[in-house]
Amino acid sequence: MTAKRQELLSAFVDGELNAQELDELLALMNSDHNARNDYLRYQHASDTLRGYSRHNQPIDLTARLSLALANEPVHQQSGALKKARIFAVPDWFWKQTAGLAAAASIGALAVVGVINQPQSSVTPQLAQAEQMPTQTTSIAATNRWTVGEEEVEDRLNNYLVDHNEYAGASGLFSYARVVSYGEE
Amino acid sequence: MNADQELVRRVQAGDKKAFDLLIMKYQQRIIHVITGFVHDPVEAMDVAQEAFIKAYRALPGFRGDSAFYTWLYRIAINTSKNYLTAASRRPPVTDVDAMDATIYYDAPELKEFETPESSLMSDELQQAIHEAIQDLPEDTATAIKLREFEGLSYEEIAQVMDCPIGTVRSRIFRAREAIDKQVKAVMGGEEQQ
Repeated sequence: MTAKRQELLSAFVDGELNAQELDELLALMNSDHNARNDYLRYQHASDTLRGYSRHNQPIDLTARLSLALANEPVHQQSGALKKARIFAVPDWFWKQTAGLAAAASIGALAVVGVINQPQSSVTPQLAQAEQMPTQTTSIAATNRWTVGEEEVEDRLNNYLVDHNEYAGASGLFSYARVVSYGEE
Repeated sequence: MNADQELVRRVQAGDKKAFDLLIMKYQQRIIHVITGFVHDPVEAMDVAQEAFIKAYRALPGFRGDSAFYTWLYRIAINTSKNYLTAASRRPPVTDVDAMDATIYYDAPELKEFETPESSLMSDELQQAIHEAIQDLPEDTATAIKLREFEGLSYEEIAQVMDCPIGTVRSRIFRAREAIDKQVKAVMGGEEQQ
């Protein structure tokens, strides 16, 4: 047995053979009984080192398994299955696509939010609105409604606080007025 | 594609001989796993055989989402558990008749299982392997240790040792040759006894 053949057996113990070398190995194992025994000893030594074997001799089930499998049908992947596999989309593709779709949705929402942000140049409507006299001047001063009836005033202030909380949580209306009951 | 994947592909494509290589590679480990459940050595061999047969039958459906050994390991565990469940409903093993007993106890594989003598030999084998590694040149010893104890691939060992993959492969092969001499000596000693 040449050193190259023995090296092939050693590399197979480590699962480090390419397709062409596997062809060589299969031919070797089918034709040379010594190669099988050599391989079994290499594998046994490796298994012993790793603690997978406590036996002093390698165990070989291949003969009895060959007999047991003799009547088993040879697997033949059908053409349809092979074709299906060629065009089948792997699971990871769908996972990545779903992730990208979710990311795109969040991105789109963020863009909408940015667009709705107040611009540095005030729009004509806002400028006009700012110039109009309003009845809510008292809000700017105290951050509270001030109306004649106390009950109505409380209710309106509660609305403002609620609105502020929801607006703050949404992240989209960060320009909403902050209202609180704290003293200034 | 690694060697296992390539062998699986070949079995799926109709090459039964390729399955022999997978058996040769993993039979020891599978028996080791099964003996954790099924302590009787003869029964463990039967369960291992059943596990490999199940694996062969199920192989067309194996898509390679996990490593072949991981998949085979699961089959071995399930087969062992099923066997134990079924065994609890069977007559005790002592009911085996004389003919069965002859067949069982003449089985050559049985001699490999652990007895006080074989356990001693196993310790001797382990010691011989470790001594063989200690006697190796440093580069060769490092390569085989990284492979067997750390489980590194040839590529990873090449990076660690800063040498080509081909060099790693030949160093590991030389180490195995040296170990094999010791293994043969221990086995030869046993055969003479």
